[in-house]
Amino acid sequence: MASQIKMAATTPSGSTLGARGAVSGGGASPSLAQRWKGSSNLIPALLFLGLFFLAPLIGLLLRGVLEPVPGLGNYAELFANSAYARVLLNTFSVAGLVTLFSLLLGFPLAWAITLVPRGWGRWVLNIVLLSMWTSLLARTYSWLVLLQASGVINKALMAMGIIDQPLEMVHNLTGVVIGMSYIMIPFIVLPLQATMQAIDPMILQAGSICGASPWTNFFRVFLPLCRPGLFSGGLMVFVMSLGYYVTPALLGGAQNMMLPEFIIQQVQSCLNWGLASAGAALLIFITLVLFYFYLKLQPESPVGASNTR
Amino acid sequence: MVLNKQLGAILFAGLLATATQAALAAESVNFVSWGGSTQEAQKQAWADPFSKASGITVVQDGPTDYGKLKAMVESGNVQWDVVDVEADFALRAAAEGLLEPLDFSVIQRDKIDPRFVSDHGVGSFFFSFVLGYNEGKLGAGKPQDWTALFDTKTYPGKRALYKWPSPGVLELALLADGVPADKLYPLDLDRAFKKLDTIKKDIVWWGGGAQSQQLLASGEVSMGQFWNGRIHALQEDGAPVGVSWKQNLVMADILVVPKGSKNKAAAMKFLANASSAKGQADFSNLTAYAPVNIDSVQRLDSVLAPNLPTAYAKDQITLDFAYWAKNGPAIATRWNEWLVK
Repeated sequence: MASQIKMAATTPSGSTLGARGAVSGGGASPSLAQRWKGSSNLIPALLFLGLFFLAPLIGLLLRGVLEPVPGLGNYAELFANSAYARVLLNTFSVAGLVTLFSLLLGFPLAWAITLVPRGWGRWVLNIVLLSMWTSLLARTYSWLVLLQASGVINKALMAMGIIDQPLEMVHNLTGVVIGMSYIMIPFIVLPLQATMQAIDPMILQAGSICGASPWTNFFRVFLPLCRPGLFSGGLMVFVMSLGYYVTPALLGGAQNMMLPEFIIQQVQSCLNWGLASAGAALLIFITLVLFYFYLKLQPESPVGASNTR
Repeated sequence: MVLNKQLGAILFAGLLATATQAALAAESVNFVSWGGSTQEAQKQAWADPFSKASGITVVQDGPTDYGKLKAMVESGNVQWDVVDVEADFALRAAAEGLLEPLDFSVIQRDKIDPRFVSDHGVGSFFFSFVLGYNEGKLGAGKPQDWTALFDTKTYPGKRALYKWPSPGVLELALLADGVPADKLYPLDLDRAFKKLDTIKKDIVWWGGGAQSQQLLASGEVSMGQFWNGRIHALQEDGAPVGVSWKQNLVMADILVVPKGSKNKAAAMKFLANASSAKGQADFSNLTAYAPVNIDSVQRLDSVLAPNLPTAYAKDQITLDFAYWAKNGPAIATRWNEWLVK
């Protein structure tokens, strides 16, 4: 909802700003002073983030190169050891699979919410939100109860005679992906639904009047229009999945160890904070790189637009 | 004027608050443990009677977090006075200078089982890793010892093992592979991992007591390595769960005082009380974990006593905490490599 309003608001204000710039400066872009006008309003937020986020973060990153001895020893260990490379690979494949599945499941859901009559859509959206407000631990344990060998799903399938051996759906990659995709769906649906809501149905109509088949209309018109929502939702889910701990710890097997679990092990039981900090720095670095590509690939986002201007 | 008065009142209130805090701090101990029923029993058996007798308040905090402990000691702002930690960590933390030496003029060292006391820590309780199995899953044949874990032909089903690189799993693998109990250390890691490889795909790892109980009681696993207290609790609840005590592996929790604790004197008094014959026996009777005080055994509940590690001392192997304290981090690296392979 919020991003929908923001999007609606940025487009006109952006164009007026451009127009004003053209009038006053005579050039194509507004003057620097104008673009930074009102930036002093940022100070409280910057101060807060600087003091409570940036400063500790720098302290943490410093540990990675200072402990136990100054140098890049921790990073060398992280990359040299095949086990840690494997942990990294696990982290990425889980995050990638979770993003894929939550997009595949979230897209139709967001579409349905947009299409049903307005009052109903709000109800469905509320149900999606409600699932987010329930304790994460409770939801994860519920999946355990559903998916385990003696769980509800396996018992039902066996009673129906569809399978005669219980399916292994938990304590492995399958369990992690199922549990996490479920948790991540709201983070896809919310931005995507806002984007879809803002799409003028007339555009689609115009497409079909011009002779586009329903498939062409979907792939060439609707999907590109959804891109901002798909991108921001997908990126958010991917980045959140990289740092997820509880669900993989409970639904995964130990062989599917992900980077967060490795970091916790180093912090809490091995007390090897240098190595843990190197792992954390790696996670932050990967996130930043992804964010950079996100901005690159999405010129229609407000940030991207102001960058190109 | 009015402003000045207000200011004065605020200042006075502030001073008063600091003064009361100081007064409170002098008479309180911050006790940290793992939460759940164990900490509840520690409160009932140790903290409540101790507060009543001495007037020292015991504040319950938790859960134990080694990272937090280290951060507190490093920053010099130590909020914890008595912490319940694992035995190998107690020795490692002492070596790293994170702990206060204990005052054995207050704590009675000669009454504590020497396995569970050192200069920087006194036993909280001890327990055994035992072989637990689900009778409904296995039928007539009852597994006898750790070799059964690796015999998936005779005893089909998944195996539950403790997931952290800490004392227990490697030892039981070596015992099952035929290593005599007195030749366990130094651990032959290659041999242990090779043995574990034979059942790797059948292992379900558990990270906490509740999870282990859920796995066994539901039949998700047919057998595994469990904390004896958790098996006992399942049996009390009427779950079809059996146990073999053969070569039970002893592990302990140790109470330590972080370096720079603000209430050291009170903490020592608390430790003296917790490790006393009565404190230890009361705690055991509540939890089915075993007392570290040698005089506690005769105080144990007669129904419960046969279910405690103290009753199976004959066929018992005490894990080498000192070995793990020294080699733990290196073993953890090997462990992770093997795990994700």
